[in-house]
Amino acid sequence: MTLRTARGLAVAYLALFLLAVIWPGALVASRIRPFVLGLPFAFFWYAAWIFFSLPVLYLLDRVERRHRDGGEG
Amino acid sequence: MERWVWVTVIIAVYLLANLVIGLMAGRRSTKSVTGFVAADRSFGLVIMYFVTGATVFSSFAFLGGPGWAYSRGAAAFYILAYGVLGMAPFYWVGPRIADLGRRLGHVTQAQLIAGRFPSRSLSALIAVISLIAFVPYITLQIEGAGIVITSVTDGHIPFWLGGLLAYGIVILYVLVSGAVAVGWTNTFQGIFMVVIAWALGIYLPYHLYGGIGPMFEGIANARPELLVPPGLTPTGQPWSWGSYSTYILVSVIGFMMWPHLFMKAYTAKNDDTLRRTVMLFPTFQLFLIPVFLIGFSGVLFPQAPTDPDSILPFMILHTQLPAVVVGLFCAGALAASMSTGDALVHAAASILVEDGIWPFVPMTERARRILMRVLVLLTGAVAYYLALNSGTSLVQLLATAYGVISQLAPPVFAALYWRRATTAGVIAGLVAGIVTAEIFFFHPALKPLGIHEGILGLVVQVPVLVVVSLLTSRQSQEHLDEFFPSGAEAKRTAEAG
Repeated sequence: MTLRTARGLAVAYLALFLLAVIWPGALVASRIRPFVLGLPFAFFWYAAWIFFSLPVLYLLDRVERRHRDGGEG
Repeated sequence: MERWVWVTVIIAVYLLANLVIGLMAGRRSTKSVTGFVAADRSFGLVIMYFVTGATVFSSFAFLGGPGWAYSRGAAAFYILAYGVLGMAPFYWVGPRIADLGRRLGHVTQAQLIAGRFPSRSLSALIAVISLIAFVPYITLQIEGAGIVITSVTDGHIPFWLGGLLAYGIVILYVLVSGAVAVGWTNTFQGIFMVVIAWALGIYLPYHLYGGIGPMFEGIANARPELLVPPGLTPTGQPWSWGSYSTYILVSVIGFMMWPHLFMKAYTAKNDDTLRRTVMLFPTFQLFLIPVFLIGFSGVLFPQAPTDPDSILPFMILHTQLPAVVVGLFCAGALAASMSTGDALVHAAASILVEDGIWPFVPMTERARRILMRVLVLLTGAVAYYLALNSGTSLVQLLATAYGVISQLAPPVFAALYWRRATTAGVIAGLVAGIVTAEIFFFHPALKPLGIHEGILGLVVQVPVLVVVSLLTSRQSQEHLDEFFPSGAEAKRTAEAG
């Protein structure tokens, strides 16, 4: 994966994250059911966005690191 | 032996451990200003991870978080939303700040801004803003520590003594060891609060309701309004989406602008450490989940505490937990309070000297270090005095803090990324932003759609900054080259660091 793609992906994820937790995006998840992992849907929604930022940032870091080690600038 | 005695013993052991760790840490640091303020830029990944996490999560998260979930329901989710979003941009911004810090000798946020936009008034203005935001924040941490200690010892240790003990120790290790002590104790405190929060957050729902799912089933039947954003206001009315959403926005923007967090960029050993700290931060943010579960477990509990913020100690004391667990919980809550309080006290003193006094009064390095220590003591004393004599006005002051702190974002980003920005533009913008935020803070009825005053301040600040900058003459090329090195040069510097 190129640096451009990895950065684009990370920024896109963060932008979607922001839209998903404020009005109007958050309206989609403003509901109690279905329960997921014992949590009401809205609670799960917020937790899931945090959780999935982990693999996204990990991927970004891997690509950034390889790029720096490769010495391309 | 009675339960409160056991609890007191555990708290005493915990506080002593903090003191020892804090004092031992100082033996590693040099006797320079960089040593006291930025730990000689020496922190590795483990310490950076815990320093950042434990500093972010204060008494507000540990006591206020459950309080919000308990009384305002899904309104608390706003706290879940902003942390990662506020932190993530620092994957790129952090190393940039650290690099400039190493080359130009910055150890505070104001030095970065006033370095790019040379002006002593600007530096002093930022010092004043930081202090206005800090003092009520420290006061609330001391109150948190006092409340916890006095409630779990059934009042045998009074509020004034609890706060004095916990913060006496904080002041002592910050005085002796500076930033290194903050780093090492926060690592200890951070592990403590995370373990305690997860253990209790899972235990309480199972113990009281037979599981997390059954607990929420019960709430969904009895109080469904608590489970959907934007939740409730403190008086139990539905909260508005405009207010909820802009709380998140202003917190995302203001998050890393808190000087005590921003300054952590100067303590990292190298850029990789900074980047990985950002990358791992979401794991710390997940710690809010059990914290909220604790708050939700109080909703259907037959008795209620007098004040929602004490729901956590209330639940602990009313569920027949063994004394050891109560003591450990208390240590966890103290950890949350102290790990933020120490960073705040330390940052307040450092900023006052470096940005508020030194630019006006020439001083030797030794004098600056001594003055910082005097101010650590003074800041602690003022906050302690306020904690004993506070009214509602403090909570009010803290509520405005994010509005004021978020106004530092445009100067920081202009300093780092906009060559055309000028000193006059930044000062004009900052003043306009703060005045706007304050006007709306004191006249909330004027706020359109309940939008947070910090966002309104930014809406005014950014155009003022841009227009005034464009109307004044550009900074010299020589000066700009210091801040915007060419690609190759930047890379060499990064490797050297």
